[in-house]
Amino acid sequence: MDTEFVAVLRPYLKYAGDREITADARLRDLGLDSMRAIELLFAIEDTFGVSIPDERLTDETFETGRSLWSVVEELRT
Amino acid sequence: MSDTVEAGPVELTCSVAGQHADSTDAEARFPDEALTAMRQTGLLGLMAPAEFGGGDGTLTDLVTTTIELGKADMSVAMIFAMHCQQVATLARYGGGRLRSEVLPAVAEGKMYLASVTTEAGKGGHLLTSESPVDQAGDVLRIDRRAPIVTGGAHADGFLITMAMPGATSPAQVDLLYAARDQVTLEILGDWQPLGARATESLPMRLVGAVPEWQVIGEHGGFRAVAAGFFAPVGHIGWAAAWLGAAAGAYSRVLGYIRSANGRKQFDPSSELLLTRLADARARLDVVHALLRHTVSVVESAAELTTPSVQLLVNALKTEAATGCFAVADMLVELTGLRHGYLTGSPLRLERTFRDLRSASLNYGNDRLRLANGSLALMDTGVRLA
Repeated sequence: MDTEFVAVLRPYLKYAGDREITADARLRDLGLDSMRAIELLFAIEDTFGVSIPDERLTDETFETGRSLWSVVEELRT
Repeated sequence: MSDTVEAGPVELTCSVAGQHADSTDAEARFPDEALTAMRQTGLLGLMAPAEFGGGDGTLTDLVTTTIELGKADMSVAMIFAMHCQQVATLARYGGGRLRSEVLPAVAEGKMYLASVTTEAGKGGHLLTSESPVDQAGDVLRIDRRAPIVTGGAHADGFLITMAMPGATSPAQVDLLYAARDQVTLEILGDWQPLGARATESLPMRLVGAVPEWQVIGEHGGFRAVAAGFFAPVGHIGWAAAWLGAAAGAYSRVLGYIRSANGRKQFDPSSELLLTRLADARARLDVVHALLRHTVSVVESAAELTTPSVQLLVNALKTEAATGCFAVADMLVELTGLRHGYLTGSPLRLERTFRDLRSASLNYGNDRLRLANGSLALMDTGVRLA
């Protein structure tokens, strides 16, 4: 995962604390809920200049940092 | 489950619940008599699979039964629906040993299951727990305080949420089964609410130990269980209990208007009366339609975690809560001070009004509306489920 991406993620993961956010840590376990997910989505779209379509806004996409980052990368290319 | 098998147990339980509703409400005590009726009639085993001797009930059966119980006593309906939620969850996600140990007893009416998901300081959040399970080898030690456990003092078993062993965040939650004889119960306070008084939802502490195989789903797997089944079934069951309570009150009012005494008070050609009756009936029909539609979506959707399905399930909860309470309020207004407001009226609207006031607060509507606002932004195409 891109370090900038991890920096964008961190404020929305209230249970992550100062710990490393690994690519396969479950974002829900780290405190992401539906309200934070929409805020995170906006932050990602602003930072990386992408627009994630509705059909990608699934639990699978938001499962881990890796799954979310892969969607961002795919949309950036 | 066919209607012919179902009619007896439900009618009998409703009759018992109705007979004791005044005293359980007045004393804020658990409806022991109705629970005994549910045990003896087999109603308690409705959601246990047929392979264990249960009623093999569907969500539709759960809804139909709960609505009828709600007409007699909303607290009894909620107790029943929550028990069914625990049974259905255990049947779907429990391991083989747990299922074969618990479900035959449920089917025989020997097991009433209560839910321990509330926790001080987390504001009713279902999906987090700050009470860790302590793992010692194959044994999981439980020490759990909960501010509200419906029927806890009368339960034969519990489904308990706790932070998984070694959890690094409160969102890593286990769902555990504990039989009554595996825990000691300490009642930490009393229960003196405005309504839903017979749910006897006491604060309590459970201390004990259970073997590893009593974890339901995987360690840390409660979120998936909740999103995929437990929460939708909970909302459906509560909505049915509320709808039953409102429909029962409406039925009593209609009966009164058509009675000899009622005819002296109400003029059937009054346009105000007729339009108010129509409005109340329409609210009931709207909630009922939403409830049945949600059941059909939950029973058929491949994936319940999509925003459109979550929006629907949450909207069922909020709309049933406000819609059913609105009906109770309309009926109080329609019947006036004597029959709408006084405790002794045989229409018992005062109790229904108090009971249904709790609906928006149970798993608070405000929280669900916040979640739904966010989810709505993820479904710009508005793909209605």
